[in-house]
Amino acid sequence: MSVRNITPVKEFEDILPKEYKDLVNKGPFNNKKSVDDLGTFKEIIEEHPHCAGCGVSLGIRLALASLPSPEDSLVVGTPGCSFFALSQSAVNYSNTAFGNQNAVATGLKRMLQIRYPDKHKDVIVMVGDGGIADIGLDLTLHSWFRKEKITTIMLDNEVYGNTGGQESGMSMKGRVLNMAPTGKKFDKIPVFDMAEVSGCVYGARVTVANPKKVGQVVRNAILIAREIGPTYVQIFTPCPTNMKFPPDQTIKIAKEAQKDQYSYKEFMTDEVAEYLKNI
Amino acid sequence: MYVTVKVDKDKCTGCKLCILTCPEANVITLNEDKKVCINSNRCKGCFLCVSVCPKKALKEGSV
Repeated sequence: MSVRNITPVKEFEDILPKEYKDLVNKGPFNNKKSVDDLGTFKEIIEEHPHCAGCGVSLGIRLALASLPSPEDSLVVGTPGCSFFALSQSAVNYSNTAFGNQNAVATGLKRMLQIRYPDKHKDVIVMVGDGGIADIGLDLTLHSWFRKEKITTIMLDNEVYGNTGGQESGMSMKGRVLNMAPTGKKFDKIPVFDMAEVSGCVYGARVTVANPKKVGQVVRNAILIAREIGPTYVQIFTPCPTNMKFPPDQTIKIAKEAQKDQYSYKEFMTDEVAEYLKNI
Repeated sequence: MYVTVKVDKDKCTGCKLCILTCPEANVITLNEDKKVCINSNRCKGCFLCVSVCPKKALKEGSV
């Protein structure tokens, strides 16, 4: 979606809502914006129905603000909490059946490479922990084995928040939830380590307590996926509704997790390290 | 919404920490004079910005 596509004809300019005019005049399309510029431009994401203090919506907001070229990006999602904010954004967004996201992204990426051979079209998968670690694990791993050039971003809130709080594979061991009253019985699924052995060339694990780092790794992951191979970013986004903490503690919980299970971690191949030096 | 955040313009230094931690898009923006300004119609009242402000320039309030 470029500025040319969204610019209204002169006759309709005065009846369009203010948000739309702001997006055309002050939006991030065609001029480079990053997380550092937040607050000075009109963001591509609009009013969404997420709970107050939601970490997932913060993660989506930071990730969308750090897209290298929003007009040439295509976001693929899956049902879950992340769907609410992504469907309110002004990027090309496609929703899939639960767990299918990496297979659909593969097809879209191959199609776009044929249709636009001289252009970089970024295909970004942005889904929750249920879509990657539980229901779509096989399709996600297979897209990494096949070295598809797509970026996979997991918004890990450690729970199925949308359906009332079932335990997910990414929940902590012993976590008591609405629909898991005796606590979870096994450990977190090590998707981050699986990404490294399955063929991802770059991976990073961050939390929303460090917004500038989130912006930096998402940007790097998308730029690397253009040239070299599959990349993976895992963002910790705590859920105040299902983890039962006050909504103003989201950043504090994320900071505590940074000292424990969500310490900053990054892996990359030698080729990627060489590539990152040049950008 | 019924609750919102008030800004103390004298204390605000424009460090943008509140903007980077707000889950809502386009609610906290930066003025020309480098102070933050809140769109109180769209604020959901989670007070994440109040908890991260290093200068205590933001306060809980009602619309």
